[in-house]
Amino acid sequence: MPDPIRVAAVGDVHLADDLRGRYAPLITNISEEADALLVAGDLTQHGTVEEAEVFADEFGAADVPVLAVLGNHDYHSGAERDIVRLLEDRGVAVLEGTSTTIDTDAGRLGVAGIKGFCLGFSGRCAADFGEPEMKAFTGHGIETAARLRQALDALEAEEPDVTVALSHFSPVDDTLVGEPKEIWPFLGNYRLGEAIDETGVDLAVHGHAHAGREKGLTPAGVPVRNVAQPVIQAAFRVYDVVPRRSA
Amino acid sequence: MNEQQTRDLERAIATDPRTHELGIRLQVRGDHLVVSGEVASEARRAMVLEVIRDHDPGLDIVDYIVLSAEPGPGEPQHEQIDPPRR
Ligand SMILES: [Fe+2]
Ligand SMILES: [Fe+2]
Repeated sequence: MPDPIRVAAVGDVHLADDLRGRYAPLITNISEEADALLVAGDLTQHGTVEEAEVFADEFGAADVPVLAVLGNHDYHSGAERDIVRLLEDRGVAVLEGTSTTIDTDAGRLGVAGIKGFCLGFSGRCAADFGEPEMKAFTGHGIETAARLRQALDALEAEEPDVTVALSHFSPVDDTLVGEPKEIWPFLGNYRLGEAIDETGVDLAVHGHAHAGREKGLTPAGVPVRNVAQPVIQAAFRVYDVVPRRSA
Repeated sequence: MNEQQTRDLERAIATDPRTHELGIRLQVRGDHLVVSGEVASEARRAMVLEVIRDHDPGLDIVDYIVLSAEPGPGEPQHEQIDPPRR
């Protein structure tokens, strides 16, 4: 069995000034545990640049590469572009329909990331029908999944040993159990799950569903983990992903 | 407070720039307004209660908000993810 690539992940830290100092001490030596740290969106509470600075201060303490996607909270103040610029300046890679690779001792880790959006799941899903407002809503959900698929397709050329899909919204409803069913269509999007199933992903990591549960599977059986901080109740989880044996 | 006002107040807690808390639930029980859900800090709990008081619900506010468990030191949890059998 090859050595695993160790992927640490957390989401929904919702940082602001009042939470300064909560994460930095716990992740300064994270290289002892993990090869990379993934952050699954809702980095900030109100989506301001000041809060993004708190995030950069806290997560900049990590001694491994930090890869993040934004969440809905990070868009709230209309400052998402400034937030991305600040985070990139501070060494945090922000993925949005894009991918990156990290070479570790155990092999090459490829991560494709997207915020994602609402849409829903089998049996309770918004339809691309009717008023322009409804089409805009569903259209964004569909588009975001198409962009994840493109990012995963592009990543294949880099020949990663382990491929991880990172999103804020959930690709499956398995990990929403615990959330009121009425709001599931606002928590995730089955098209994200389809993109994951069709592109050789080893692990999908998401956040957003604070009251959901950690573990689930896509329809094709890819492991999905909801790492929203209120779910995992820790600074991060570590997934030791064993690379597929080369054929 | 009727059902409609209760839902409006929930939405106010989600959209008020002081809070932006999307996980707070309100229930009217007799003379009480029960506030539940999870927030990340005492400051955020206080803000939620302040927003509610500003809307003057005319009920006794019962604070059942829980604080998110603060991530403490201790062994990080590892889980092995095996490749698919094919
Ligand atoms: Fe969140
Ligand atoms: Fe969110």
